[in-house]
Amino acid sequence: MKRLYIPLLLFLLLILEGVAIDFLPSTVVMGNQLFTPHWVAGFLVLVAVLYDKDDTYFAVVYALIFGLLLDAVYAGVLGVYMFSYTVSIYIIQNLKKMLHGNFFVVVLLGVVGIIIADIMIYIIYLIIGMTDMFWQDYLFNRLLPTVLLNLLFMIIIYPLFAKRVQRWGNEQLD
Amino acid sequence: MPFLRNKKLFVFLIGFIILVILIGYSLNNRDNPNTAEKFLNDVVGWGQNVIHTPVNFVTDIVANIKDFKSTYEENQVLREQIAQHKGLVYQVQELKKENEQLRNNLNITETIRDYNPIQATVIARSPEQWLNEVTINKGEQHGIKQNMVVITAEGMVGKVKTANGFTSKVQLLSGFDEYNRISAMISREEGGNIYGMIEGFDKETNSLLFRIIEESDTDIEEGELVVSSGMGGVFPAGLQIGTVKDVVSDQYGLTRTALVEPAAEMYEVNQVIVLDRSIEGVEESETEGDE
Repeated sequence: MKRLYIPLLLFLLLILEGVAIDFLPSTVVMGNQLFTPHWVAGFLVLVAVLYDKDDTYFAVVYALIFGLLLDAVYAGVLGVYMFSYTVSIYIIQNLKKMLHGNFFVVVLLGVVGIIIADIMIYIIYLIIGMTDMFWQDYLFNRLLPTVLLNLLFMIIIYPLFAKRVQRWGNEQLD
Repeated sequence: MPFLRNKKLFVFLIGFIILVILIGYSLNNRDNPNTAEKFLNDVVGWGQNVIHTPVNFVTDIVANIKDFKSTYEENQVLREQIAQHKGLVYQVQELKKENEQLRNNLNITETIRDYNPIQATVIARSPEQWLNEVTINKGEQHGIKQNMVVITAEGMVGKVKTANGFTSKVQLLSGFDEYNRISAMISREEGGNIYGMIEGFDKETNSLLFRIIEESDTDIEEGELVVSSGMGGVFPAGLQIGTVKDVVSDQYGLTRTALVEPAAEMYEVNQVIVLDRSIEGVEESETEGDE
């Protein structure tokens, strides 16, 4: 049963991503800045750093599954989030071996992971013609606000879930 | 060690191939999701409904309290307006009756103006804001089909992109492109209606692009009302789309494009109505995505 906590939390975040943007004030949504929640990716970074040991890859598997879910539910084009999240979480998995998992490292890796994932999503969407945003516009109007929004999310979830995720990892993987 | 590195490269390449296959597959079948996708959408839609309902309840209460404050002033204004409207309502009723009688005499019972409304609530907005999609809580089980038009009280907001069992995805007007055209017109009193197509949305000016096919003798003026013409075969006629803001020539100077400000608020959509046109349109294969 305890093994289901993380997938359930990820599923809840997936649902919240769709509902949350509806409650942002319209002046925020209406402006030029695009705030894209990557909360599933943010939580996956937490899982990758604190839950997984050096030789387990649960976060990567979850990234694969929930990336595909995000594609099917919100984008309609399969594979984009799946590929981007998986690659980005895999990179984070390798980076964390060099660093000790404290607050700053998790938030920093979260930002790095989200930047990697979002840039990959942008490039793939640009290639298949889902967006025609110029890269400078992308940097300032989409990447920057998105990173800020998700940075806030990382700062909020770390105190709530860091201890728990670490405990689950120690209980289940040892 | 080189073996391990090769294996990683191998996995990455296979992943890349799978990505290309999946994208290719979904771009081809974008408008008809398969059963698994529909099921997933319904499950997530159910969850969104559960979360959305209490939050909506609270925001409704806050909105109600705000409404109470301005009730008195609004009441005064509305009373004046009602006095003016009374005469108009009587006139419209008479005209409607007469129109119906004349139609009956001619044995025309259905027009492209008739539709069945289906009420729905927006439960989610796609976090990928490049797509401009919202999810509503009604689906095929409630009679919603692909390409039906979605309106709010103010005017048109979009069309149904995909219909799942119990939820549907709506493509908002702000995400329209050359693949989602609407046949529209500007109605003129002396005949000489101006026909054209809504061909896309311009982000910079926040307005729809209305390409004029058939120009009348008189020029388009600012503030004129653009409505759907119903000629595309799917949307009913006479739905308000927006008002003309500006008229510009296209890059070759051959046709003219009017910038149309959408009548409906595109970002605060909560309650919507999906319209099922009563009269059957032409075969779907013939419309080729033109609505």
